[in-house]
Amino acid sequence: MTIRISRRGILAGSATLLAAPAVWGQSINRDRIILAMTQEPVQFNPLLYVNAGTENVPEACIFDALWDVNDKGEFFPNLAVQVPSRQNGGISADGLTWTVNLKRDVKWSDGQPFSAKDVEFTYQTIMNPNVAVRSRAGFDLIKTFRVKDDHTVEMELSRPFVPFLWAWQNMHIVPQHILGREQNIQTAAFNSQPIGTGPYLLRSRTAGSHMVYERNPNYHRGPAKVRQFIHKFVPDQMAAYGQARTGEVDYYALSGVPPDRWTEARAFPDRDFLRYPSPNVQFIYYNCGKPQFADPRVRRALTMATQMQKSIDDIYFGTWPRTLSYLQPTHWAYNSDLRDYTNDAAGAERLLDEAGWRKGPDGIRAKDGVQLKFTMSTTAGNTARQGCQALFQQNWKAIGVEMEIRNMPASVVWGEYTTQSRFDTLLVAWDPTVGLDPDYTARCHSKMIPVKHRQGSNYVQYENAEVDRLLELGVTQTEQADRIATYRQIQAILHDEVPFAAQGGSVQGHLKRKQLQGPTPNQYVTDITWNVYDWAWA
Amino acid sequence: MIGFVAWRLLQAIPLLIGVSLIGFGLMHLAPGGPLAVYTLNPTIQAQDIERIKIIFGLDQPVHVQYVKWATGIFSGNWGYTFFGGRPVLDVILERLPATLLLMGSALSVAIVLGLSIGVLGAVKRYSVFDVLATTGALFALSFPTFWFGLMAIFVFAIELRWLPSGGMWELGEEGNILSLLRHLVLPTMVLALVITATWSRYSRSAFLEVMQQDFMRTARAKGVPPAARLMRHAFPNAAKPLIALLGVELPFLFSGALVTETIFGWPGMGRLFVDALNMKEYPILMGMMMFTAIFVIIGNLLADLAIAAIDPRVRLR
Repeated sequence: MTIRISRRGILAGSATLLAAPAVWGQSINRDRIILAMTQEPVQFNPLLYVNAGTENVPEACIFDALWDVNDKGEFFPNLAVQVPSRQNGGISADGLTWTVNLKRDVKWSDGQPFSAKDVEFTYQTIMNPNVAVRSRAGFDLIKTFRVKDDHTVEMELSRPFVPFLWAWQNMHIVPQHILGREQNIQTAAFNSQPIGTGPYLLRSRTAGSHMVYERNPNYHRGPAKVRQFIHKFVPDQMAAYGQARTGEVDYYALSGVPPDRWTEARAFPDRDFLRYPSPNVQFIYYNCGKPQFADPRVRRALTMATQMQKSIDDIYFGTWPRTLSYLQPTHWAYNSDLRDYTNDAAGAERLLDEAGWRKGPDGIRAKDGVQLKFTMSTTAGNTARQGCQALFQQNWKAIGVEMEIRNMPASVVWGEYTTQSRFDTLLVAWDPTVGLDPDYTARCHSKMIPVKHRQGSNYVQYENAEVDRLLELGVTQTEQADRIATYRQIQAILHDEVPFAAQGGSVQGHLKRKQLQGPTPNQYVTDITWNVYDWAWA
Repeated sequence: MIGFVAWRLLQAIPLLIGVSLIGFGLMHLAPGGPLAVYTLNPTIQAQDIERIKIIFGLDQPVHVQYVKWATGIFSGNWGYTFFGGRPVLDVILERLPATLLLMGSALSVAIVLGLSIGVLGAVKRYSVFDVLATTGALFALSFPTFWFGLMAIFVFAIELRWLPSGGMWELGEEGNILSLLRHLVLPTMVLALVITATWSRYSRSAFLEVMQQDFMRTARAKGVPPAARLMRHAFPNAAKPLIALLGVELPFLFSGALVTETIFGWPGMGRLFVDALNMKEYPILMGMMMFTAIFVIIGNLLADLAIAAIDPRVRLR
């Protein structure tokens, strides 16, 4: 038999192939939800993940924590029967003993029962020196861990630590009956084929493309409302935005819609645009260990000279809220009495003159042979931050200060250059340090300077005895009103002495189909799927 | 020929050792490292970073790290990824089919088109077609691939809505060949555009050179028809530099296309490389480098064998 292929035939075939999906995307498949992100998770063990955001998705789908936090910043129980408090007897009067009662009807997705042994094993794994758990913050205060019965654990702390609730909210529980048998948890098959107690089960993974989850029929809160959940990876931000427009994905989150497209995205009639605040705040970090920045008046003057609001309006299209502290302005502990003193070049000049930094013949200010010249670094290629740097450079040039932009790849700038405090200034965005608790000990307690004490993340080398005292007090106060008062004082001192100058709170623009219900902005978590169990089609 | 192949493979061993030594050394000499990823995690503190450094073995001298890695490679263990703890070979092999498909289709389309355009341009030198082909190639080579990619998505996916804008399958239709073909069209088109331009230039100059040789004039004088002159006389001679070019391009079949894969969300090796580079995943980077080095050697060996097969003057020794 001879097959004859004519040119006309080839053309007709190609046209049919191309025209087959006359309109691509659009229709809703109510049996599943497709969530797109630009990054792909590589680690599905909730204790080992590195990339908050994308790796929170498998964590939230497959695993459960003892308790979670809602969009109002309130804890609600998950694997625990109730969130421990002094009122319900879960926390002893001295704040040292924590008792957690666990739910009895919970099963791992392989059918094995969940018990107190799993919680104990999770704690032991966090403290295991051979496992690269990202942080032990809070857990290192546990003096003794006791399994009282199959559904009760008791932990005794070495000192009262109120943010302990956040520590457990951030760490999901892993199965002792599987990981307990592993010689090396780092390379366990479990890390890519996880078994959890969560609302969804990992059904398949296509590397570099997507992960498919099926709802867990035996979930202890009842089966999720949608049968299938797909986490899709579209590495290019514009391409991902395009897929959200065409309907190839139902919800595009995380890096989200580029700020210059927000107006356009808000106008789509069949899409909801979500303004999604993240816990992230962007700062100028001044290295107080460098001679230029040792005097708080210099740091304050430099901050006064910056046009912070203009940087937000011009570069982030006004999408970010201006914040004057390390917390988002909507955080319950935010000090709203702080006043913005930026955009005051004349005041900055007066303060520098008063501090003894006089302009030299070259127009650059100097004192005791040290010129007010420094570098500013951030991740190379981050065009928005580069725009901010250029603006600040101009602001400082106008008052006789020279700043050189020296950006580097992420793997360089956030390595020892930051952790060993080798920088002059940084432009960096960070969340609070223990969940979304206002405790900021790791970032500004004088005993937390890594180059001096080999612990903490006080990379700016800030030292203030009063701030130390308040930080130590804040983590012991159980009443929220007391804590608010303490953290307002801390923020006021930091606002005055400026080891880091807050620019704005990061906000993302998410795009979803109107009919998709559930996704709710929650500034208290890094996980946009924090309530994935409740997501459903209208 | 067997002796020649065996000798070339033996020569490859010190070459691969050299490549691995230089690669490993450069990777560790470059500033920064995998632990920087942890710094941006808000809960991480200096003591955590020190602990993780020891677990990953990054506290040991570079030569000790190299010996450990090289010993593993010789025993078939390509190591484990830092982030995820998965066997490196598994991570590479799971991305290979997607890359082979995209690069294979783009290269096939490009070679056929590029050769045709090049030959036609050489035969009809300075004609309208030749001028248009030259200008088109210049255009394709001058514009960045990401621009072509974004334009293709804008026109065919967003405005016309004929084709999907990214991915490899319609989700839930994995295994559906028609779905795969639809997803393949745009990235293949974009990638093939640039490769076609390169091949059309190479083949045009190769054919032009051959067509001016004495034996071509002799064939014409003998009355050999134009098509036969082209296929029997010009093609085998012009093909030699093109085969050498193909040998050099063979490793790209496996290493992937960074930009195209990123824009179209194609789950191939190119994106794996970008992600690994961003996170300084040394085990994956080393694995991919060795993989590519092996295919560079194989590609060149195959090219030598092919040239010897079509040119009796070439002796394999």
